Amino acid sequence: MGINRLVDIGKSALFTAQQAISVSGHNIANVNTPGFSRQQVTLSENRPENGSPGQIGTGVHAESIRRSFDAFVEQQLLVSRERVGEFTASSNALARLEPMFGDANNLGIGVGLNEFFSALQDVATNPNDLSARTVLLSKSTALASRFNQSAADLTAAQEFLDRQLGQTVTDANRLTSQIADLNAKIAYAESSGQQANDLRDQRGVALAGLGELVEVSSIEDATGQLTVFAGRGHVLVDKERSYQLVAVPDLGNNGLLDVHYDAGAGPTTNLTSVIQSGRLKGLLDVRDQTISSLQTSLDTLASEIVTQINQQHRLGFGLDGSTNQDMFAPTGTTANTIAVSLTNARQFAASSTAAGVPGNNANALALAGLRSTDFAVLGTVTFQEYYSAIAGNFGSTAQGVEGNLRAQQIVHDQLTSQRASVSGVSMDEELANLLQYQRSFEAASRMIVVADELFQTILSIKR
Amino acid sequence: MRVSDHQLFGSTAGSLERIKERIVRVHEQIASQQRIAKPSDDPSIFGQAILEKSALADNEQWIRNIQFGTARVTVADKMLGEAHNLIARVRELTVQARSDTTSAQGRVTIAQEVRQLHRQLIQLANAEVYGQPVFAGTKTDAPPFVLGIGDAVSYQGNSEIQSIAVGPNQTTQIVLPGDQVFTGGTTDIFDGLSNLLTALESNNGAGIEVGIGVLDQATAQLSVAQGQIGAIANRLDTAQGTAQVVSEAIQKILSSQTDTDLATALTELKRQETAYEATSQTFSRLFDLSLLRFLR
Repeated sequence: MGINRLVDIGKSALFTAQQAISVSGHNIANVNTPGFSRQQVTLSENRPENGSPGQIGTGVHAESIRRSFDAFVEQQLLVSRERVGEFTASSNALARLEPMFGDANNLGIGVGLNEFFSALQDVATNPNDLSARTVLLSKSTALASRFNQSAADLTAAQEFLDRQLGQTVTDANRLTSQIADLNAKIAYAESSGQQANDLRDQRGVALAGLGELVEVSSIEDATGQLTVFAGRGHVLVDKERSYQLVAVPDLGNNGLLDVHYDAGAGPTTNLTSVIQSGRLKGLLDVRDQTISSLQTSLDTLASEIVTQINQQHRLGFGLDGSTNQDMFAPTGTTANTIAVSLTNARQFAASSTAAGVPGNNANALALAGLRSTDFAVLGTVTFQEYYSAIAGNFGSTAQGVEGNLRAQQIVHDQLTSQRASVSGVSMDEELANLLQYQRSFEAASRMIVVADELFQTILSIKR
Repeated sequence: MRVSDHQLFGSTAGSLERIKERIVRVHEQIASQQRIAKPSDDPSIFGQAILEKSALADNEQWIRNIQFGTARVTVADKMLGEAHNLIARVRELTVQARSDTTSAQGRVTIAQEVRQLHRQLIQLANAEVYGQPVFAGTKTDAPPFVLGIGDAVSYQGNSEIQSIAVGPNQTTQIVLPGDQVFTGGTTDIFDGLSNLLTALESNNGAGIEVGIGVLDQATAQLSVAQGQIGAIANRLDTAQGTAQVVSEAIQKILSSQTDTDLATALTELKRQETAYEATSQTFSRLFDLSLLRFLR
């Protein structure tokens, strides 16, 4: 046993304390870094030497630098991210559509119907008053343009969502190639027995980002590389290779984009119907379901109004004796194309007989009566009841998604908090660690000073 | 449990954000006075409100229709009343003319006054509301009673009746066609007056006697019309009352369903403000709790 060993022990303690202080410093520096997992040094004794009367210790070394990480929480957080991504996309898209139902502020189709039928009644009470007839024509035009506006709003919303979908696919591809890149780096770093803590954190962030866009599952192989799947088992990342999602216009769906999977060879696979979660799902749901069903419903309503009003109107006689005339253009049977074809207010057929002109109002009364008539095409309800159901259904969808989003956000917050509890940096803890290692550093220094003094003592014997 | 800084800051920021969101929501409700402004606020109430607004528009339109109809009916009623008085005056004159003491010249003089009344009756029968004659049936673009050669009067209107909507699937007639009131029914009043004028001017005692009978029939015919018009006015009145009551009831329901209740909204606002303050204060306390403060 020599004094040199004492110096060596002191040295190992100094190094180890320095390393531990570096790790604490790294933790403190990354307290706000997204996805960062707190790192910890695990210390271990050096191998002892045999001696008499027994083994004697040789100091300390840092065995590994581990990151604090709970795979289960991370997995749950990923699933929760997918749901939050889905509901956020749907909820934003639906919120943008809500102003279409401006009935609370006298702006919707329901109000248009009320005004149209009121104007019709005014003509019925005063059939040869030209001003009432002119008002009726302008209210009919207003009703048609309310439909046109809603249809245009829906198309615009659909196109907007479609552009977002394209952008989301691009984002997803960027993230998968990032993950593939990091896979390669991690495999390289860890092949030499290192722990690639920070690279793993970065890959976790990329995977979380991808999860927000589309549902993903992943498995890690022995080399530390992730294989990432999406849309019922399609491989997005395999080791250092990533496979692209592509947005392909679907001619059977007005040229709106489908999400395809490109395996690198052969034809692409359409994933549109198998995507289960994430922003892509949210966008697709609103684009292809909510908006499409709104379009269909409004078209049905517009078509039935045109058919019924025209049918009754053709039976009557205008002030100028005209009869068998359509009030709305018979070709315009969608919300987008509904238009008034009657141009002359005198031609509005209020009278049921040619002889009854101008005071006969029986046909106008019959037209006004359509307001409270149930139509089989609409499911045996009136125009207004049908519209009210459209608004109610849309409201339920929007409310449901909003509720889901709120609930999911709470779950997400809890999981984030759980993750932070495991992997987050606590300043107090790091400061305590700093102090602790600072003290051991000081003590180790003292040890070297002691060894030095021992040397001095021995050297002074000879003098 | 281990508590990291991120957890502390993150959860506080999240809570503050949620409270703020609620404050904004309540604020919107107070500012717009609408508790339900968009479908997702309450889908079933929103849908119901659309139907209630539709029903409200219906009721208000019925009230409008009734007001229009009432104007015509009131004028018709007034004209019938005056026609009644006018016939009574003609009868008075005719009774005077019938007397043997009245000379042929006297009868001619009386005929002159009766002719004036005859012309006046044509005017009454051609009375208009908003430019539309009330006794023309549905032929409302021209005066229904036209004076022809001599004292002959012809009816140019038709026998159709106009109805207006006054309630759910309810319509009410608002005109009596002139042929039913003046020229048709039991007696053609204008024919009777014309014949009477001829009798007066030709000093025809028997003709005058017949004329009195016709006048009595005319009075009876006008009374029947007055009764009918009175019944119509009554129906309109009742219908208007009903529509008004229903309209008010719907407005009340709509308001209670969709308007902001200030007391509730303000209480909620106060509650959220308190929560916001408390959270902020706790946060600043927690922020002070750091080892850093003691390591100097």
